[in-house]
Amino acid sequence: MKVLITGVAGAIGRLVARRLLEKHEVVGLDTAVWPGRPRELTLHRVDLRKKGTDDIFRRERPDTVLHLGSVRHTFDETLRHDVNVVGTKKLLDLCAAHEVRRVIVLSSSYVYGALPENPFYMDEDTPLSVSRHYPDIRDLAELDGLATTFLWRYPEIATSILRPVSALGRRAHSTMAGYLRLDFSPVVTGFDPMLQFIDEDDLARAIALCVEGNQRGIFNIVGPGALSLRSGIRLAGGTALSLPDPLCRALVGTLFSLGLAPAPSDAVDFLKYPCTIDGRAFREATGFTAEHDLVQSLRSVRG
Amino acid sequence: MAANTKASSGPAGAPLVVKEDEEQETPAAPGTGAGGADNRGSERGRPSGRRGRTIALPRRAPASPMAPPRPSRTAALRPEETAGLPERLIGLAFDAFGPSYLRDLAREIDEAIARAPLELNALGYDPWGFQRDAARRCFLATALLYRWWFRVEARGLEHLPAGRLLLIGNHAGQIALDAAMIATAGLLEGNPPRLIRGMGEYWLPRLPWIGTLMVRSGSVVGTPKNCVDLLEHGEAVVAFPEGVRGMNKSWSERYQLQQFGRGFMRLALRTRTPIIPVATVGSEEQAPSLGSFEPLAKLLGMPAFPLVLTPIPLPVKYHIEFGEPMWFEGDPDDEDRVIEEKTEEVKERIAEMLASGLERRAGIFF
Repeated sequence: MKVLITGVAGAIGRLVARRLLEKHEVVGLDTAVWPGRPRELTLHRVDLRKKGTDDIFRRERPDTVLHLGSVRHTFDETLRHDVNVVGTKKLLDLCAAHEVRRVIVLSSSYVYGALPENPFYMDEDTPLSVSRHYPDIRDLAELDGLATTFLWRYPEIATSILRPVSALGRRAHSTMAGYLRLDFSPVVTGFDPMLQFIDEDDLARAIALCVEGNQRGIFNIVGPGALSLRSGIRLAGGTALSLPDPLCRALVGTLFSLGLAPAPSDAVDFLKYPCTIDGRAFREATGFTAEHDLVQSLRSVRG
Repeated sequence: MAANTKASSGPAGAPLVVKEDEEQETPAAPGTGAGGADNRGSERGRPSGRRGRTIALPRRAPASPMAPPRPSRTAALRPEETAGLPERLIGLAFDAFGPSYLRDLAREIDEAIARAPLELNALGYDPWGFQRDAARRCFLATALLYRWWFRVEARGLEHLPAGRLLLIGNHAGQIALDAAMIATAGLLEGNPPRLIRGMGEYWLPRLPWIGTLMVRSGSVVGTPKNCVDLLEHGEAVVAFPEGVRGMNKSWSERYQLQQFGRGFMRLALRTRTPIIPVATVGSEEQAPSLGSFEPLAKLLGMPAFPLVLTPIPLPVKYHIEFGEPMWFEGDPDDEDRVIEEKTEEVKERIAEMLASGLERRAGIFF
């Protein structure tokens, strides 16, 4: 099997690529370099949105495409939207045109949004409400929506959309990992939502498992359970800085504009309300369960 | 009364596993779940129109929504990882200098939590955000109210069978102390102790501290998904189908059951859960109110703004009666009219229990 991975030089991309290389041929696509990459891996340094991508599809003829190449940080709004929406659309069109048999798109559990009335275990049918209070990352919901449309439009292509919880570990660059690495993590007075995490190794294993399977559909991916925000900060070795809601938003907003916080003030909703998901469908479809312990993963955040 | 309704007490402790469930549960091997979310729509399939037919549990087997428990390989937690410094200092001070009555009560609560059928992780959290240490503090406060303020007399706790349960009660008293007292009764007097989980109003999580306390002590936001997940996991859930209509009733409406919502009955039918009628006498007099001041309620985004005559709830005496389980069968997607016949049956049972409870008591404060 020949697997094309976009965003292969990212933390999760590297872990997945190493796993897949054991059994498959892997072609990587990224704008970034990956020094010290495995020799067997072919890396094309190309921007998804540029012309070169078409030709890679023509030459490499991948059977499977794994789309990890989305921008998660919020520092450059235009780039984010362009890569996540325009780039994904182009990639999916190429998959349809070049007879790719299997497409896996990495989305995120953030797409459901953190709302006070969220049930504890949101399943895949839950509406994607993130842009209601956090419009800056609406492109995540749009990326997910594009992939869902693709899933329905091409029944002959086995498409999977994965919505994992925040990844943790020494290498992971998730927003939550960045937040937990702060010396003082701002929290909102009187609020302490439950959070779910998955270890980066477990997430890579889940994605590799999905690549090798043929499950069509949308899947939440969860790790080994949940704990509260403040417990998480304590285990990661940080200190919770409790501030009333308006002050917390002002502080996060200011830090973000200075490049010192990983997300803007709208993200404070994720520090107040739960965005916890039901991972049953993926577990039943693939038999995946997390191997890493929640406590160990949190302790490993600072490396 | 619907002919297909069977209201009888089930065998205590009988597992409520139905044959169809078992059959659905086994083929969860890799590959069979192909499709996951996308072909659920067809799986769900509307049950054929005939009323009263017993149908299989819709959607999927009642697998637990969280990952199956695995042996923990965690190194022991350091004290600073389990709680913040102020919290730990208060805990140490309480253990050393707290009044012996309170320490005994705290120990009693600890033992009850340890005996209750709960699934706690290394940090003491259960799959719905209940946390052992935080819950202990919450229940210490409610246990004091239970023993000294409302002097609760609970009867019929032997009617709580093991496994999934839906407790349905009358709701009153402006704040949900009735739910707190029912939960405290379940924990302190249940044998074995049961954690009875409340289904909170949607606006509660917006309130600082209140929303967190609610979750840490075992309650959840009252969404249907939460209720179904809890019941499928074998939990005991308490719900008040009168909702805000009941909680904020005025003095003149006390002990008059307001209109019952139908959602609870549909969920009970869908998950095949027995209903335990619960009648609380006392709560309806704890906070006399003239009614709700709607403009202010709207302004504050609250479901109601009761014009209460007393600053704190009166020390009325609570009598809580847990009735015999009622078992219902039928199509959870049936017409409102059919479901209403069943909810009326529960409402009537609670009304009867309330009437006999009111007859038995000597007075509001005794």
